[in-house]
Amino acid sequence: MLLQQIINGIIIGSSYALIALGLNLIWSITDIADFAQGGIYVLAAYVAYYIVTAAKLPFILAWIGAMVIGGGLAYLIERFLYRRWTGKSRIQLLCAIALFFLMANLAILWFTPKAKIFPSYISGALVISGFTVSYQRIAILLVSAALFVVVFLFIMKTKIGKAIRAASQDRLVAEVVGININTVNSTVFIIGGMLSATAAVLISPLYAVFPSMGDLPLLKSLVVVILGGFGSVAGVLVGGLSLGLAESLGSVYISSAYQHGFAFFVLILVLMFFPKGLFGRT
Amino acid sequence: MKGFRRVLVCLSVVLFLLAVQSVWAGGEKEGAVTGNVIKIGYTAPFTGPAAELGTNGWRGVQLALEDINKTGVTVGGVTYKFDIVRYDSVCEPTQAVSNLRKMAMEDKVVAIIGDHCSSCCMGIAPLCDEFKIPGITIECAADGVTSPGHDFYFRMRPSMGLMAPLLTPKIMDLYNPKSIGFLCVNDDYGRSFAQGFKDNFAKLGIKTAIEIYFERGSTDHMAFLNQIRGAKPDIVFYVGTTPEGAMILKQAKELGVTPGIKFIGSEEMSEMELVELAGADAVEGTYSVALWGSVPADLEARVREQFNASMHYAILFGYDALTVIKMAIEKSQSLDPVVIRDAIKKTDYQGLQGHIKFEDFDNYKNQGRYEPAFILWSGGKRHAQ
Amino acid sequence: MGDLTVKPDLVTRKTPWKKLILPGIILLVLLLAPSFTSEYVIYVAVLAVIYAILAGSYDLTTGYAGPLTFCHGAFWGIGAYASALLTLKAGLPFWLAFPISGILVFIFAFIIGYPALKLKGHYFAVTTFFFGYFVYLVILNSAKLTGGPMGLRGIQAPEGFLGLNFASLTGSYYLILFFAVVFLGFLYFLVHSGFGRMLIAIRENEDLAEATGINTALLKVLAFSLGAGIAGLTGSLFAHFFRLLHPTTFAWMTSEMIVIMALVGGLGTLIGPIIGAFIVTFILEIMRFAPEFRFIIWSLALIIILLVEPAGLMGIVRKLQRRKR
Repeated sequence: MLLQQIINGIIIGSSYALIALGLNLIWSITDIADFAQGGIYVLAAYVAYYIVTAAKLPFILAWIGAMVIGGGLAYLIERFLYRRWTGKSRIQLLCAIALFFLMANLAILWFTPKAKIFPSYISGALVISGFTVSYQRIAILLVSAALFVVVFLFIMKTKIGKAIRAASQDRLVAEVVGININTVNSTVFIIGGMLSATAAVLISPLYAVFPSMGDLPLLKSLVVVILGGFGSVAGVLVGGLSLGLAESLGSVYISSAYQHGFAFFVLILVLMFFPKGLFGRT
Repeated sequence: MKGFRRVLVCLSVVLFLLAVQSVWAGGEKEGAVTGNVIKIGYTAPFTGPAAELGTNGWRGVQLALEDINKTGVTVGGVTYKFDIVRYDSVCEPTQAVSNLRKMAMEDKVVAIIGDHCSSCCMGIAPLCDEFKIPGITIECAADGVTSPGHDFYFRMRPSMGLMAPLLTPKIMDLYNPKSIGFLCVNDDYGRSFAQGFKDNFAKLGIKTAIEIYFERGSTDHMAFLNQIRGAKPDIVFYVGTTPEGAMILKQAKELGVTPGIKFIGSEEMSEMELVELAGADAVEGTYSVALWGSVPADLEARVREQFNASMHYAILFGYDALTVIKMAIEKSQSLDPVVIRDAIKKTDYQGLQGHIKFEDFDNYKNQGRYEPAFILWSGGKRHAQ
Repeated sequence: MGDLTVKPDLVTRKTPWKKLILPGIILLVLLLAPSFTSEYVIYVAVLAVIYAILAGSYDLTTGYAGPLTFCHGAFWGIGAYASALLTLKAGLPFWLAFPISGILVFIFAFIIGYPALKLKGHYFAVTTFFFGYFVYLVILNSAKLTGGPMGLRGIQAPEGFLGLNFASLTGSYYLILFFAVVFLGFLYFLVHSGFGRMLIAIRENEDLAEATGINTALLKVLAFSLGAGIAGLTGSLFAHFFRLLHPTTFAWMTSEMIVIMALVGGLGTLIGPIIGAFIVTFILEIMRFAPEFRFIIWSLALIIILLVEPAGLMGIVRKLQRRKR
């Protein structure tokens, strides 16, 4: 049972990490705790759902469609809202929270509160000596791993990635050496939105699509970002996995009713000893 | 930049006004009944995590309203039409109390339907007594709503404490379990469901092997199901909303917990939506408590056609509740809430959900106690047991 | 950090009597309200007054001291449950449970605030967000003590004395209104004392304040826990007015609502959040008939406030005054 619990924890953790990846990029570079990503997560899942069920298009097109919507929304929000308040982070935070509520409640209005089931893209499960892991969960694990590598390479190797890194370290100096901060911000938000949409499309077939589906993933991914520390791709991975494990084991050995409260415990514990997160820069 | 800001501000103001205007328009359309009108209040969660219950209840109320207003209700030789004022309670007691006060003081309703959440029902029941307006709860299940009870507050469905004694013998016949388990949503409903069955099985000397409560809105139950697999109870009661139940069954299948351990669901798990969400494969061979056995085919077709939705018990409850009020008004030939209350008390009517009658017994007041149904899922269809 | 707050007007000092006009009018209307409105309006007014105290005390923490928090509703809930349990389980009268619950919340907020306030910026804000959620979970899961999701019933109205009866709606209304005046008066006194000026100094430039010898850490925690303590007292008032407690009343949505109210009126003015509480409560009441639109319009309105004037109504008023001069 313990081993199965650990496997579950790792897989849940990787989905948290996947959602948190985009959020971490945005938060560390633009200093916005972007709650709106929770709303993008919901709307992207609905878009993908309708592409697959109503338009009867293949899953891969749904994924692309959701990424376009997610990236587009994130771009528009940054361009027309957040950018107006550069440096005023409290206003940005409040605006982000308002946008999250707005999108979740628009989903109720447009799509009714009824839950919808996203058809699975892979069926079947891997069974090894009593342990069961469905292929769908394995797919989440693999795709998250691949995306982490892609994002890591993008930040490390490409020109715009280097600009993003420079901007995240010192905005003023970056601007002096000719980096366009606005372009950097837009890029980061588009990537963030696309990653949120990807997470939604990959994870929602496991569960269901419904208007409040974004609440818990959003809360968890905020914890993961703080745990891992800003600007650290590896930190997000470690943060996500440790939260997944803490929940999976904690709900068995401590209390199931506090399953979602463990995030708070872990957060306080880590912040007590590492005020900058596990992998955060000083 | 200054100009841009002004344009944006103007745009947002226009957007805001448009939204307000559309709301006003919507409000007027709903209340467009003219002539002699009888006002009935409806409080239910339309937003928040329980929004689906309120939405379905509202569908039932709308269908009943349509049927009633076709002919109208004749009181003292004058024909009246029904008009519903509905407000959102978000499943939160202070909101439900606001709703009730508004309906009683401002809208001057003669009767009230709602709420869906037990916490809200407990908040509004004493106020029904205070204002002397009869209220019928749609579905809340906790015993405390009618026990000790209130003169003006009624419940059609059997409460949780009543269902368990009625169903325990049936379950004993079917499985003869040695140990039982619970996987329930952590709210008044899940807790009272588990308590009811736990007590009744304990009387027969059957112990509870495992008892897990999960937070409303949880999607991943793998950790819990794995625990259940370890504890090996013969049967597991699972309680939650239909989507939550569907996810439990899907994941149980994935983990190989079913069909080895038998799953018995709360009344939400008897809805067709369960099959739509979880797939016929995952629900095969599971049982469920049900508050309705079968419904007329034409009603099911109307629900499908008007709302593009499948049948749901809250639709039946909403339909029955309004029908009971209409019959009480016709019988009493009065628009005085106190007189209507006395007529509701005398209700004896074969409703869609079962036989509706409000009785006082044990510690209960104005409580219905028709026998709940018990169904088996097989081949993606409900089979009444 | 002064982005959301109304800048203190350092140039001119209005004569004190002029400052009392607006609160005086509000108070007069509230005092006379039961004689010309229905019980429904009075009930809404009770809620509005409770929210006004909450928003006012929130202003002490966030408007004056600076840090953005999202857990004010949780302190309100702790106070409510503490007071209800003290009367139900320990058998204390309301008049004892009421101050005790306030002191308990104050101590509790002090203990958690001291380490938490060392976190910077969003770290602190997001942590308070989780803290609020965690308090909700604890209330929900301590079913044996708090009744958990079944709710807590059987709470009694405050004991009457000298022929006063607080069980009726009008009685509760005047009781709560009385304490609203006391609490908000205390807050007014506080923010205009040296304590308040030091808080403003911390908000505007923490490093500078630290350099001038102000113990910024202690003052921030004091502002945080005083705000929380008043929220706890308000919780006690609410518990014995509504007499039914349920965890959902104190869920994170409530904390957000308090933030919105304070913002609508304008942080850092005290009167602003109070007006904001009344405006938001009554707008939400008026929109009761359009359930599906309520929160959409509500969040749109917030974004528009941020776009038009982040410092809220009082920010606009202050701007108009400056223009006149």
